[in-house]
Amino acid sequence: METIAHTLDNGLTVLLRPIPTSPAITVWVGYKVGSRNERPGITGATHWVEHMLFKGGGKLKKGEIDAIVGRLGGKFNGFTDTDFTIYFETLPPDHLETGLMIEAERMRNAAFDPQESESERGVIISEREGAENSPKYLLSEEMWHLAFHVHPYHWPVVGWKADLERITREDLYTYYLQHYAPNNAVLVLAGNFKPRDAMAKIQSYFGGFRPETQPPPLAVKEPPQEGERRGVIRRPGTQDHVMVGYRVAPLAHADTAAILVLQGILGGWHGLSPFGSQFVSRSNRLYRGLVDKKLATDVAAQHRMQADPGLFTIDATVREGADPEKVERAIVAEVDALARKGPTKAELGRALRQIRSWHAYDLDGPTAQALLYTWFEVVASHRWLDELLAACQKVTAEDVRRVAGTYFTEPNRTVCTFLAQRGTS
Amino acid sequence: MSGPVRLELGNGAVLLLHEDSTSPSIAFRGSVRAGAAYGPPGVAEFVARLLLRGTTRRSAAKIADATEDLGSALAATNGVESVAVEGRCTRETLKPILAILSESLASPAFPAAEVEKVRGEILGDLRAQEDDTRRVATRRLLELVYPAGHPYHRDPKGDERTAAQVPRTAIRSFHEESYGAANLILAFSGDLDEDALRTVVADAFEDLDAGVRKKPLPPPKSGKRTHEILPMPHKSQADFVAGRVALPRSHPDYYALNLANILFGRIGLYGRLGQKVRDTLGLAYYSFSALEARHAGGHWYVNAGVNPKNLEKAVAAIRAEMERLHREPFTDREIRDGKDHMIGTVQVALERSSDHAAALHDIESYGLGPDYLKRHPSIVQSLDADFVRAKAREYFEPGACSWVASGPVKGAKLAF
Repeated sequence: METIAHTLDNGLTVLLRPIPTSPAITVWVGYKVGSRNERPGITGATHWVEHMLFKGGGKLKKGEIDAIVGRLGGKFNGFTDTDFTIYFETLPPDHLETGLMIEAERMRNAAFDPQESESERGVIISEREGAENSPKYLLSEEMWHLAFHVHPYHWPVVGWKADLERITREDLYTYYLQHYAPNNAVLVLAGNFKPRDAMAKIQSYFGGFRPETQPPPLAVKEPPQEGERRGVIRRPGTQDHVMVGYRVAPLAHADTAAILVLQGILGGWHGLSPFGSQFVSRSNRLYRGLVDKKLATDVAAQHRMQADPGLFTIDATVREGADPEKVERAIVAEVDALARKGPTKAELGRALRQIRSWHAYDLDGPTAQALLYTWFEVVASHRWLDELLAACQKVTAEDVRRVAGTYFTEPNRTVCTFLAQRGTS
Repeated sequence: MSGPVRLELGNGAVLLLHEDSTSPSIAFRGSVRAGAAYGPPGVAEFVARLLLRGTTRRSAAKIADATEDLGSALAATNGVESVAVEGRCTRETLKPILAILSESLASPAFPAAEVEKVRGEILGDLRAQEDDTRRVATRRLLELVYPAGHPYHRDPKGDERTAAQVPRTAIRSFHEESYGAANLILAFSGDLDEDALRTVVADAFEDLDAGVRKKPLPPPKSGKRTHEILPMPHKSQADFVAGRVALPRSHPDYYALNLANILFGRIGLYGRLGQKVRDTLGLAYYSFSALEARHAGGHWYVNAGVNPKNLEKAVAAIRAEMERLHREPFTDREIRDGKDHMIGTVQVALERSSDHAAALHDIESYGLGPDYLKRHPSIVQSLDADFVRAKAREYFEPGACSWVASGPVKGAKLAF
């Protein structure tokens, strides 16, 4: 399927994926701003801004975005990540202009009413506290905190609570004005529309926005890790968890294809969608080495594929009665074995077939397509999505062994363990 | 768009198809009416989890390798009434993946080693649930709402005692008596045509034993109104849920109550409830209502995740929104918007093959008729506004709801 790319004079990148038979149209706008663009003191600002952009401004009164999309039976949401912020509406096909109008108002005209900023503080803190209820969230926060000392990946996307208690409306609005501009954004349409007609409408809604001077690219580089880092959380709970992380290359890197194939061999493949899958892979090395051996009840591996060098994580829920240290050793043993001997021919073939098939499943419907193309465009390039999947098919066993030996090493490793204090929960 | 194809096999299995030649893949969703409600406590969970983990011909590892070698995916998940079956494949891998599914449905081996592995997984899930304020509160609410003895009362996963004790013989017996083709519905959407449905798909399932079609469950009566506070002092956030017995999906009032629920706690950012508790008062990240309508009955509930210091305020706000329905019933504009929402949602959901397959499955499962997608807009448009308002007042009544608060809630003075 064809992706039509345009750039407006003001720098807005536009990608069009027409699907003439679809019963829907989806409008996505991604901004190249995430928690990596924050600084200590305003951690969580990107995510808070995202919340504020559902509260109207310009042509839209407070609550109108929800009301308009709700009335049409549409889907809508926003996501904030380390590297980007994304918004979308999926609507019946004759409502393209509705989606464009909402996103245009969101780009430059958000209200940031002081009272609304203040009431949202409670919502944001509630979101953070809800996450804190989960041992897996706490473990993940500890992992990133330990693995990155200098780079903003050090702090969580939702922000530190102390910052959330003091960030001001002015902090948020200044941040918004700086980053929400056409030359820092990508607009993606997928579904039932005519490209020429859509481009005319996009020009009319977004063409009048002036570009903004963007801050210089993030100069912070995380120094090389020179030894294993370890963290332990002891809290009331019912299950132990082990998470092992390895610092790996960013998304737009020649090694990414081999790392993805490695992920398939090590932990199974469930497509590129960041939202997980209901399907469980049971033919991978970690499942065989941990779940089949009754050390863990589940295990997952994930390359997060970020703008800057990021993390590949493996997390396991320790089976009741099993020793978390044994679980950790089993994870490391599987990784080391791959670095020593590489995958078998059968494992490699299976991973490549999985990646090929799941690409078709990943593209099921306009919303799913636009998600992938927006994500790749804001972090690297939409072309990289197709190139990466083609590159995966050329990965050899030796490539997998090489990346395992390069990145999945002891000095590059961070291990975090959640030890549940039973009987106190 | 041509209408869906329906094919009933001689053994009673029902196959459905929405053909979409522009899709590069095939999604299928289905069910076997063999959920927890039909078996001894905890047993259905074992059967569902073990279904794809070894047959009399192939080990669990071989089933997993064969599935993933194809680049396909299969899953079976236990529920209250049915076990959900789903999968992804391409036109080229359809035949072999259906052969695996059919073999797994007909002759699972329930290998002893896999049974013990699954036992550990279920116990692990139950323990994770115990440590989750939202799941603790919701689970307990269903035990309060539905009377003991009704299958909806209990956790489909069973409890720690049943999970620890379920024997392999019980697993085998439940499978033998429940997994007949007469209880099977499978809906396909994507790159598949009617000829392939009548040949490749039908061939895969026509030899399954028919078995005995499951009888409908008895409708649940309401449990006695009550409440519980479940302290989990180590948590940061509290959860509050309140609810009551509502309606089965087939009840003539279902559409009116569904519209009322959408307006109260769903539409946009969680309807009136979200507008007040989240948007205006800033008390919660989530605050919504839900209507779960099943074959024999259903329940309605509200749920909010709240900082413990805001809990009393949030509970009062939820109650006030329910009481407001008497003073300020839904306006004509709200009703109109809700109707448009219901119609649009069904259309937009069909953008994904997997959701289209799920819609076909549900239409068959609830007996809504092959022309349901065409009729749906007129069903919704014909709803009487005053009747919708009356249903909201009747069902969203704090005095009729049981409630549960969980989390760091010790000492909270709650009234609902």
